[in-house]
This record gives sequence, C-alpha cells and structure tokens, in this order.
Amino acid sequence: MLRFPVSVLSRGIAKRFCSAVIGEGTLPPNLLLPSNLVDPTKLKRPPPTADCSLPLLRKCDAVVPAHLSPVQTWVETLERTDSEPRGLAQLHPDVFAVQPRLDILHDVETWQRNYKRISHANTKVVSEVRGGGRKPWKQKGSGRARHGSIRSTLWRGGGVSHGPRGPTSYYYMLPMKVRVMGLKVVLSTKMAQDYLHIVDSLNVPTPDSQYLLDLIRHRHWGESVLIVDVGDTFPENILQATANLKTVNIIPAIGLNVHSVLKHEAIVLTLETVKFLEDKLLWHDQRYTPLHPFKLPYSDFP
Amino acid sequence: MAASFTLRSAVLRRALRGACYLHNRSPAAPGGVAWLRFVSNSAPQQKETVISESTEEYKFVERLIPPSRVPDPPKHAGPTPSGWVPPADSPPPLPYMIRRSRMHNIPVYTDLTHGNRKMTLVRKVEGDIWALEKDVKQYLKEVTGKELPTQVNEVTMTLKVKGHFDKELKDWLAVKGF
Repeated sequence: MLRFPVSVLSRGIAKRFCSAVIGEGTLPPNLLLPSNLVDPTKLKRPPPTADCSLPLLRKCDAVVPAHLSPVQTWVETLERTDSEPRGLAQLHPDVFAVQPRLDILHDVETWQRNYKRISHANTKVVSEVRGGGRKPWKQKGSGRARHGSIRSTLWRGGGVSHGPRGPTSYYYMLPMKVRVMGLKVVLSTKMAQDYLHIVDSLNVPTPDSQYLLDLIRHRHWGESVLIVDVGDTFPENILQATANLKTVNIIPAIGLNVHSVLKHEAIVLTLETVKFLEDKLLWHDQRYTPLHPFKLPYSDFP
Repeated sequence: MAASFTLRSAVLRRALRGACYLHNRSPAAPGGVAWLRFVSNSAPQQKETVISESTEEYKFVERLIPPSRVPDPPKHAGPTPSGWVPPADSPPPLPYMIRRSRMHNIPVYTDLTHGNRKMTLVRKVEGDIWALEKDVKQYLKEVTGKELPTQVNEVTMTLKVKGHFDKELKDWLAVKGF
C-alpha cells in the first residue's frame, strides 16, 4: 500500500480528514482544501489555569456540592475587537457542567416544535360531500355494479374514509423538571464545546452591525451568535447593531429556550444573566412540589 | 353547672347591651356632610373618625405564606428518632458519588411490575457507575449468597438490581457516608 506523506497542514486537520480504512495520518491525494481554512484547535484559548493573574469577577452564589468544583471561564468585553479577557468567572457545576443528556435535549426540542402545532388539514367524509343522496341506478338489471350513492368512498369525488379530521392539536406539556433539565443540558453542552462566552456588559462603542460581525469573526465565535441579557431595556447600540443582522440575535434571559440555543452556534451571556439563570435553575433542585400554582405568592420564590 | 349558666347569661346580657349601645352610638347620617358639620359645631368633644391605612398587620398574612424551598435538616447529636442518617461532611474517597434526594434521603427505591417482578433502583449516581455495580454485587453476594442480575443505565446513571434490597442498600450507603 502506498504511504502518503503528511502535508504541512497542522496535525488537527490531518486527524480530522484521515479515514480509518487507509491508515492514521494519511490524506487522500485529491483533497482540495480552501485557502482560508481555520483550524479550531489552534485558535481556541485554553481554559484558565489556577495561577491566572486576572481578577475573579464572579463567584457562585449558591452552595457548590463538595464533590464538584465550579467551572472557570474567561470574561470578555465587546468594547474593542481585539481585547484580551477582562477577568475570570466561576459558574455553578449543577447548571453548566451537567451530564450531556441528548435524549432530554431531543425531547425538549420536539416538544417546543409540536406543542404549538395545530394542523388545519381537513377532508370531507361521505356525509359531508355535497350531493349523493339518491341511488344512481336501480339495484338489479342495469348490468353495472350496485351502488347506493355517487359520493361513497369508492367513487371519484367521493368522501375520504380515514383522512385528517378538522383542526387537530398536538399540545402536550413535558414535566417542568424535564424542561429545566433541558436548559441545563444545553448550557452545559455549549460550555463543553467552547461555544459559551461570558461578557461583562453589552456596551458596544458603535451601533454598526459590521463592527459586531468583525468582532465575531476575529474571535472565531462561530457563524451565528445568540446574545442573552437580563432586564427589559438593552443598550441602544447593541439593539441597532443586531436589528438588521440575521445570524446575530439578542433575547432577554426569560426568553432563553433550547431551540434558540441549538439554532445558534455560539451563546454570549452577561454576568447578570448568569446570576439570574443560576438562581432560577438551581431553585428547581431544592423546591417542594407546588402547594398552589407558582403564580400565587410564596415566601422565598426566586 | 347552674353557676356557669348564670355566668354565661350575664356575659350574653352584657354583650347585647354593648351591641345596642354601639348601634345607638353609630350616626345614621341623614344629611351627610351637613350633619357632620352640625355635629362638629354642636358637640366639639366628639372626635372625627379618620380613615388610616396600616401595614403593620400584614405580618400575620406573611407568616401564612408557605415557603417554596426544602429547608436544611437540623444538626442532630447522636442517632435520630426516625433513623435518618445525615450525609458525611466530606464526600467518601470512592470513584462514584450518590447524591441525596431533595428531601435529604438516600435515592434507593423499590419497583414492582407485572405483579411479580421485584427490582431495586439506585438513582442519582455520578462518576464511575461500573465500580458501584461491582461493589453492590459483591455486597449483595455477602448478604444473600447469590449473584444477582443488575442493569446499568449509563445515560440516566441508574442501577437496577433484581429483588427488593432497599433496606440493605440504604444502610450500606449510609455507612459509606453518601
């Protein structure tokens, strides 16, 4: 078997493109790689080490279990395109380092698609098709098959026997804890894949969309970015910058859902959003079963 | 008996008298403002009733609103009356970890399906679940003398054992410090 020499490209790309059949570290001869190919293994900033000089901007408010340690991430800024991270943040492992339950993700995603669905497909049954009350020809003597109405199921133009009937609703609710687990799993998986970025605030210098696109491309965040912030008002600049962009979107923290996170490649959270999400998602781990609906007052509702 | 009856009737009479007195005292107010003005001009020793709001009594409502979080159990010195064992302060040095449920109990449950299929389920396992399976099998072999079939679910991180062994497994895990 001919052995092809490993090309000048980095080991990361070579590993990805080799096939198990030929052998480790060989590239196919007719491989055409684009010139602006980006190797993510080279560009990823490694996770912060213990002896980092940057300040710790956020610690976990809730109690971290003794056998787990908080997840450490960089805190960046949106103010300059090529700025270094401002500090470190600690995230709770029960929200951002949960077991990657893909089955729960699938369940929550299909629920989000289907619970709002009302299909309006409707066909007419034999009794609803116009006409067909009279026997078309006499029972015996005409030589033709016997029929009772011209709109029976057997006839062209007749009714449909087992077709879709009227508006049908596909509404169902997954248990609250499953939906909460879905959010935790999706945040953990984005964290594990290095697609989750923490930002100290959303203050952008210009309302220019191109600035955001340049920043995202410089930092290699991905094709699409979902920006999440807490509060009912956002800075004007970021609203105008994301208004005309299709792949960069901004949502409030109460609108965070599994479908939106999976639709976008990268997620950007602010420090306040992280606090809000941790409060709300960790409460479900230690709450009672509801005595009365949660809309009514409780003494320590998050 | 007779004394209590007279006492009760005296109390009733006093209450009735008080109610009648109050009824007579409350103004019928035929003329509205004019009558009030007349009252204030004629009888200056009568006070004007002012409507005032007070939020001090709201604390009686607040103490009725229920909490939503399960509280931490109090520290017991010695064995508890129900037999509940608190988890160890530091997690045991094993390759697996079993968390407590939200009511601070050990997550071992029994299951009965098809009328005669007995199973024991260990939930909330983290870490190396196969090491836990090996330890559970070895412990149950010492207890019962039989090799029991087990099922490990790595996706949900649960362990099922054939038969009802919840008491033994709960005591064993409590002794380990989970």
